[in-house]
Amino acid sequence: MHTPVLMHMADALLAPSVGIVMMIVAAAALAYSVYRVKKDSTLTEQKVPLMAVMAAFVFAAQMINFTIPGTGSSGHLCGGMLLAAVLGQFPAVLSLSVVLIIQCLFFADGGLLAIGCNIFNMGLCAILIAYPLIYKPIMKKGFTNGRAFLASILACEVGLQLGAFCVVLETWISGITALPFGTFVGLMQPIHLAIGLVEGVVTGLVVVFLHQVRPELLEAALENKSAGVSAKKVIVTLAVVTVVVAGALSLVASSNPDGLEWAIGKTTQSEEELEPEAKYAAAAEKAGAVVDATAILPDYAFAGDEENPLGTTVSGLVGGAICVVLAGGVAWLTSAKKRRKVNA
Amino acid sequence: MAGLNGKIREFYTLEQLSGGSTVIHRLHPGAKLLTTLVFIVTVVSFDRLQFRQLIPFLFYPALLMGLSETPWGLAMKRVALALPFVVLAGLSNVIFDREPVLALGSVVLTGGVISFASILLRTFLTVISLVLLIGVTPFSDLTGTLRRAHVPELLVTLFEMTYRYIGVLLEETSSMYTAYQLRHQKAKGLELRHMGSFVGSLLLRTFDRAGRIYSAMKCRGYGRNTGGAMARPWAVKDWAYTLTVSGLCVLCRVFDVVTLAGSWIGGLLP
Repeated sequence: MHTPVLMHMADALLAPSVGIVMMIVAAAALAYSVYRVKKDSTLTEQKVPLMAVMAAFVFAAQMINFTIPGTGSSGHLCGGMLLAAVLGQFPAVLSLSVVLIIQCLFFADGGLLAIGCNIFNMGLCAILIAYPLIYKPIMKKGFTNGRAFLASILACEVGLQLGAFCVVLETWISGITALPFGTFVGLMQPIHLAIGLVEGVVTGLVVVFLHQVRPELLEAALENKSAGVSAKKVIVTLAVVTVVVAGALSLVASSNPDGLEWAIGKTTQSEEELEPEAKYAAAAEKAGAVVDATAILPDYAFAGDEENPLGTTVSGLVGGAICVVLAGGVAWLTSAKKRRKVNA
Repeated sequence: MAGLNGKIREFYTLEQLSGGSTVIHRLHPGAKLLTTLVFIVTVVSFDRLQFRQLIPFLFYPALLMGLSETPWGLAMKRVALALPFVVLAGLSNVIFDREPVLALGSVVLTGGVISFASILLRTFLTVISLVLLIGVTPFSDLTGTLRRAHVPELLVTLFEMTYRYIGVLLEETSSMYTAYQLRHQKAKGLELRHMGSFVGSLLLRTFDRAGRIYSAMKCRGYGRNTGGAMARPWAVKDWAYTLTVSGLCVLCRVFDVVTLAGSWIGGLLP
């Protein structure tokens, strides 16, 4: 039960337009979080090392596998809700984003282009939506062990469900995978319901333990004014930024038939909307486009034998093979220098 | 906890690699960051059914891995780590997209098979380009680039400190886990009921460490805005590298290099 495996978006499944839009949204959220942390007088400079070491803590805590009773499987903590519970929401956004970026750079969890998606799905959904709307209102009524578990489980469930749904949405809009939207949702949401429950229980256990030994830590985060920002304001701002950026980019992308437009066109143009002739014409056009995109070498043949369709395939295979052999040769030649150095 | 020890080893291996002195290591970090971004965006901009167009992009890792002396084993391990979700998504293409699009003799390939291959190749290229970036660029150089790009100081400091303390906390976690295992030798992993006190104790140690770090920072003059190290300006070789790699990526995106190469060879044949 490893959330990062399922939640970390990879570059390979993402269209550039989706990746860039989400990068801009995540950058806006990070900039606003930096502004709020700097503005808040209760967040002294002493908090900077705390935020950093807490980020490192989340990284280390994610390495701890625990056994889930009765299932035989293991899981680990994601830590977003715990960070928010201890640091408050805006410092938590910064700390978790730093963790995600370092994971992407050093451990191949996610990709550089997908970093905006990952910050949004795993950080912003949990910390800027589930924490202020669910965790905080429940805990404001006063600490009891029951409330701590209830708040942790509900907030983790909502955060993970939102995040998982965003993964589906971003992948589907990118159009790289052919998995139907309904099937993908049906696959992701129940898995994350189970993961959310375990995450919530573990977060609750840690929160209860902390309350027993250092209650002032949790109280400081709850009383932190920076966490008191209107959740509605945050959600509306994020939605507006997403729509504006997506709209602006779609105008730019409209001249390019690849990626987003292709995916949206494919999914919105249902067969029922087409006249029979238009349907066949569209099918033929689509088939032509597919062949054009996938035939090894369209429009090319052996010299003097342009009519021979075999020529196109053979020349494609030859071209591809040459590239692979040359790339392999380059790798071998450049590595030879290293081997010589080692042998010397 | 093999995973934990493995992460610690990986972390230090990358740090050691980035301290090399090859021609790629000596390039400006901004040039390496920019070309990596251009490379990734170009690779992922292809349609899912375009496979052959991605093949020329193999030259980038082939050349750079050798020149930078980055071990292939490490890179391939990273690619393998990124595979589970990608394979799941790719296999769904094989199942749902069964439209035949290519026949090689008696073998008919469907759109799903080609897009699956395309997704695997994309994963290989994008992951390996990141491994190359981190393997040849010290982290302090990357954060220096962020600072010069006017990324807020708070965020850059967070990056630097988190990076520095990840190794420390991983080792601390490893020690705690070893102690736990010695007391619970029959347990396969940490039991869920112990998770609260285990993670909570790690958290308290983390807090104490944060306090000590803050004191040490203040003793060394933190907050007096001493300024970062002088930035190395972009040299001709940095511009040449950036323009050449980016230009070639764009060329391979615009022109079907594989097709051109194949037809050229076809033209040479009698």
